[in-house]
Amino acid sequence: MAVEYAVEVEGVVKSFGRLRALDGVSLRIRTGEVYGLLGPNGSGKTTLIRALVGLVKPESGTVTVLGRRMPDVGILSRIGYMTQAAALYPDLSVEQNVRFFAAISGTEDNVGEALDFVELGSRRRSVVSELSGGMRTRASLACALVNRPRLLLLDEPTVGVDPQLRRQLWDRFRAMADQGTTILVSSHVMDEAERCERLGLILFGRLLAEGSAQELIQRAGVQRLEDAFLKLSEVRS
Amino acid sequence: MNMRRVVAIWFRILAQFRRDRRTLALLFVIPLVILSLLYFLLRGTGGKPNVDVVNEDQGPVGSVIAQALQRGDKLNLHTTSVSSAEDDVNRGRVDAYVHFPTDFSTRALSGHVIQPEVRLEGSQPGASSTVLGALAQAMQSALSAAPQGSAVSVNVKVSYLHGGPSFDTLDYFGAAFIGLVVFFLVFVVTSVSFLRERSQGTLERLMASPLRRGEIVVGYMLGFATVAFLQSVEVILFGLYVLKIHNSGSVALIFLIALLMAMSAVNLGIFLSMFARTEFQAVQFIPLVIVPQVLLSGIVFPIETEPRWLQVISNVLPLTYAVSGLRDVMIKGADLAWASVQLDLGVVLGFTVLLVAAAGATLRRRVA
Repeated sequence: MAVEYAVEVEGVVKSFGRLRALDGVSLRIRTGEVYGLLGPNGSGKTTLIRALVGLVKPESGTVTVLGRRMPDVGILSRIGYMTQAAALYPDLSVEQNVRFFAAISGTEDNVGEALDFVELGSRRRSVVSELSGGMRTRASLACALVNRPRLLLLDEPTVGVDPQLRRQLWDRFRAMADQGTTILVSSHVMDEAERCERLGLILFGRLLAEGSAQELIQRAGVQRLEDAFLKLSEVRS
Repeated sequence: MNMRRVVAIWFRILAQFRRDRRTLALLFVIPLVILSLLYFLLRGTGGKPNVDVVNEDQGPVGSVIAQALQRGDKLNLHTTSVSSAEDDVNRGRVDAYVHFPTDFSTRALSGHVIQPEVRLEGSQPGASSTVLGALAQAMQSALSAAPQGSAVSVNVKVSYLHGGPSFDTLDYFGAAFIGLVVFFLVFVVTSVSFLRERSQGTLERLMASPLRRGEIVVGYMLGFATVAFLQSVEVILFGLYVLKIHNSGSVALIFLIALLMAMSAVNLGIFLSMFARTEFQAVQFIPLVIVPQVLLSGIVFPIETEPRWLQVISNVLPLTYAVSGLRDVMIKGADLAWASVQLDLGVVLGFTVLLVAAAGATLRRRVA
């Protein structure tokens, strides 16, 4: 049974010392939606994503993912999490990395498919430390989706990735969303924000605005999403 | 050479040191700690061997030599009977006893031979040679006081409880070093590789996976224990059969102790790597964790010769028990029936369990 919302965040607050990383964030992501989390560096994007997988424990507020109140170790097998830097074992081959993460969630049968999906099938035996940055990003993505996740969390997946590869990756994300996977992407790259169905603007740990790219542009009364982003940020800060 | 550029590097390095308080503390505090430890160990109560003197001699010669031993002041002497002296040696309470039998003076005066009996505990070659040296010296000075012309030859009858005359320093240290080498290397390798797990971001990924903390800790332990097992096999076989380090006990029991040591080293590595941010800082735990253990666990300096307050510290170090267990097995031929071996194994096992729990707890804390 599919829940209506893959992600429900209610008034989440989290501080690190005197810094309020999340200051009462609430948002909902529908099942099968591609949601873009936009915000400058240090705005709280990563903290929010870490709260979704239970790595950050909010001081107040609730996080519900795929119908389960977090933290819930059981549901993590249905979540794919791609961290900011390509988190891989550099001494192992691409396939060994993917196979390891598959073994954790018991989906070893999906290794070949995951490798083909990121077009690393032919480089499966290459040792990660010898790969280019772009290939590492793809290998990292393969590790995140080898467990056939129903929710895919991508923390700035295209940082340091050339435009060609970025387009390829987005085609992949799109394909997954069409098959019913909910995707949350954090980014500060505007051209990829336009590919999301809905966007959330986050600044100083608060969600400033939400809506499709078109809606945000109209609300700000500007021409481009980048200007909308800057203008909406100004109004509230 | 452009001096300004050199100075730039010079000052940058100093600025980095000022930021890294831990490294500074290490550089300036650890040497004092280590030197102080050495001071207390080497200037401690002094490592005079304990020796029982059993004088059953019906003539005067026995007590002349006993007095000479006393004057020589190389041994802590204690006069007692044969049965309790034998008991003291068997229980390791004294390093040796010297026995002057009833016909000692008769045989000496009738011009035969001075033949004291020495029973050595034998597990510490250093103590054994001190005892034999002190006795030889005492007899020398007793003989010089004897009337001229009496042709007396000296023949000390030495017997060993453990080891034998060929038992040397390597036999004594070898047992302990097997434990130390395994513990040290496994600790360093685990702490650095667990730290790498954090710095390369894969720990974050593991934490966001359905893995439970216990599974991570136990999985790590098994992985490194396998390597540690192979390493123990290699070290023990090399020590026993190539270097021919003395062993009177069961090889399986040596493996068991070495393996338990390795497991506690794995978990100590995981536990401490949580307190380091970089591999550099993890390496700094070596002087902090390993050096005091090497000095205080009885590997080099017998714990009995330490000042009392240092003994308290020694008695809470896991390596102390591993070293004592390995020595009991290899030198004294102890088996699992020995109470001391049971204690040693129990404590090492207890430390391992404790460190597994500590490693699991720190993993949890990192995430909260």
